[in-house]
Amino acid sequence: MPGAAERGSELSEQIEAFVARLRGGGERPRSEDTARQTLSLLRKIVAHGRWSRAGELMDLIRREGQRMTAAQPSETTVGNMVRRVLKIIREEYGRLHGRSEESDQQESLHKLLTSGGLREDFSTPYPPLRANVIEAINELLIELEGTTDNIAMQALEHIHSNEVIMTIGYSRTVEAFLKEAARKRKFQVIVAECAPFCQGHEMAVRLSKENIETTVMSDAAIFAVMSRVNKVIIGTKTILANGALIAVSGTHTLALAAKHHSTPLIVCAPMFKLSPQFPNEEDSFHKFVSPQEVLPFTEGEILAKINVHCPVFDYVPPELITLFISNIGGNAPSYIYRLMSELYHPDDYEL
Amino acid sequence: LEDARNLIETFRAQLRDDPDVASAVAAIRALLGFLKQDRGETIQGLRSSLLAAIDTLSRVDSSVAVSSGGELFLRFISLTSLEYSDYSKCKEIMIERGEIFLRKVSLSRNKIAKLCHPFIRDGARILTHAYSRVVLRVLEAAVEAKKRFSVYVTESQPDQAGQKMAKALRKLNIPVTVILDAAVGYIMEKVDLVLVGAEGVVESGGIINKIGTNQIAVCAKAQNKPFYVVAESFKFVRLFPLNQQDVPDKFKYKADTLKTNQNLTEEHPWIDYTSPSLITLLFTDLGVLTPSAVSDELIKLYL
Repeated sequence: MPGAAERGSELSEQIEAFVARLRGGGERPRSEDTARQTLSLLRKIVAHGRWSRAGELMDLIRREGQRMTAAQPSETTVGNMVRRVLKIIREEYGRLHGRSEESDQQESLHKLLTSGGLREDFSTPYPPLRANVIEAINELLIELEGTTDNIAMQALEHIHSNEVIMTIGYSRTVEAFLKEAARKRKFQVIVAECAPFCQGHEMAVRLSKENIETTVMSDAAIFAVMSRVNKVIIGTKTILANGALIAVSGTHTLALAAKHHSTPLIVCAPMFKLSPQFPNEEDSFHKFVSPQEVLPFTEGEILAKINVHCPVFDYVPPELITLFISNIGGNAPSYIYRLMSELYHPDDYEL
Repeated sequence: LEDARNLIETFRAQLRDDPDVASAVAAIRALLGFLKQDRGETIQGLRSSLLAAIDTLSRVDSSVAVSSGGELFLRFISLTSLEYSDYSKCKEIMIERGEIFLRKVSLSRNKIAKLCHPFIRDGARILTHAYSRVVLRVLEAAVEAKKRFSVYVTESQPDQAGQKMAKALRKLNIPVTVILDAAVGYIMEKVDLVLVGAEGVVESGGIINKIGTNQIAVCAKAQNKPFYVVAESFKFVRLFPLNQQDVPDKFKYKADTLKTNQNLTEEHPWIDYTSPSLITLLFTDLGVLTPSAVSDELIKLYL
C-alpha cells in the first residue's frame, strides 16, 4: 500500500530529525518539551508503525527508544517516556487479555512462591489494542501539561511569611512554585548565580518582576550566607532510582552547605524526571561542554599547559535531600523505589 | 523418628554433594522431599509435621539461612493451601510449584551477578568479608565483563573463612590481599567500595552476617565509602532487631554449642547485625533495593 509506505518513511524521517536534534546539543532544551516530543513521536509509531501483536509493538518501541537514548544519554526524559509507554502497552494488553487489575506485575517473594510457571507472552493479537494505547498516551500527554501547575499548587504549604529561600540557577518549576507562593505571602529569595552560564541572573530578573525581593550572589558565597537561609528549594534534571539527583553543576555544594546548617533541602521535580537508573560505571550522565566559559580561548598560552573541564551536571546523594515535591505530592527520598515501581515495569529498567 | 533421620540425612547429603548450594536451598529441598513422602491427610497435620521437621533441621544447623528457608517453605504451604481446598490436588500443586521455585532460585545468583557487576568500575579496589558464594559469583561476572580490579579480604577469624575466599579468588586470577580483621580501619582509605554477602536480611533492611561485618560497615560510613550487600531473596527473614542483643541466641551460636553449653557468656558469637543506615544498596534477585524497600517486600509476602 503506497499510503503505508509513505507514512512509514515520513515516520522514520521524523525519528531521524528528533535523534539529530538530541545529538546536536546546543540550547539546553526544556525537559517538558523533550518529554512531549518523545511521546508524540511514540504515539505516531504506535499509530502508523507496522505491527500486529503487542510483543512486536514493544520490540519496535524498545528499538526506537534505544536509538533515541543513545543519541543523548544525559536527556533521561526520553528513556523515561519510552518506559512509560512500554508499561502502558503491558497494562492495556493485560486488560484485554482478561487479567485482573490487581495482579501484580512486579517481581516479589510472594510471586516467586505462588506463580505456576511461564511469563506473559504478549503474542495474542487484539484489534482494539492500537486505539487503547493511543488513548492512554493522550492521557499521559494531558498529565504532562499539568505537572508544573500541580507542583506550584503545593507552594503555600511549604513557604511561610518572612522566610528566606535559597535557590540555584534557573528552574522553571521552581520559578512557578515561588511565583504562586508570592501571590499570598511575602518572602525573600537568594539566588546563587550558578557559574559559568550564570542562569541565576535570569531567574532573579523573572522573580523580581513579580515583586519578590531577590538577591543574586556568587557560588562561592553559598556557605557564607547559608546560616541566614530558612529553606533551600531547587529543581533538578533527573531523579535517580536511589533518590539521588543529577542536577546543575553547583548543586552538590549547595546541598552540603544546607546539610551542615540543618536547612531543609526541597526538590521540586515532576514525575517524568524519575529515571530507574542507579549511579554506576555505565553512567553516561556526565555532559561536558566547551571550556570556553571556564577559561576563554584568548588565554592561549596557558591553555596549552593545562586541562580544562566544564561539566554541566552534578551528583547529589540521597542523604542530603529532605523532600521531593512532585505533581503527585511530597515524598521522602527513601520512598522513591515505591514511586518507581508504580511508573515502570522492572523488565523495562534496562531498555 | 525414622523420618527425622531421613530428613537430616537428605539435608547433609545435599550440602556434601554440592558445596556451592546455599543452606536455605538445601533445607527447602529436603523439606520438599519430606512433603512428597508425607502420608498425612489434612493440611493441619502437614503443617504440624513440617514444623517438627524444621525444628529438627535447625537442631542440626541453627543458622539464619535455614530458619528463613524453613519459614518461607511454611508460608509457601499456607499460600497454596488457601487456593485449593481438596487436599490431594493441593499437594500435587505444592509439589509442582516447589520444583518451579527451586529452579527459579537456582538462577538467582546469576541474576544478582548481572545486576551488581556494572557497579564495579575498572581499577576498583574492593573490600569483602569472609567467604560468600554470592560475592564470588558477582566478582566472577565482573571478570567475565573484562573489568580489572583488586580485592582485599579480611581473614575472618575464628574459622579463617577469608583464606578460603582468597584461594577461590586467586583461581579466577584476581589480585587479592588477605588482611587482619583488625586492619579494616587502616585499609578503608584505600578501598573504593565494600561488597559483602548476607546470611539473613531482616525486616528493617539491615543484615545478619559473619561477625565483623558491623565493624566494616561503621568504618565504611565514617569514610564515605559505599557499602553494598548481595543476597538472594529467600534470605529475607521476619526479624526486627533493634540492637545486637535482640538477635536470637540460636542464630549467634552453632547448634552444637547451644546443646552442650548452658553458660553462653563465655562463648563468642558467630554473627552480628548491621543496621540499615549503614547500607547503601542491596542487590537481590528481586532487583536493586534500597534498605527501605526490603520491608515492603516482606510485607507483600507475609501480610
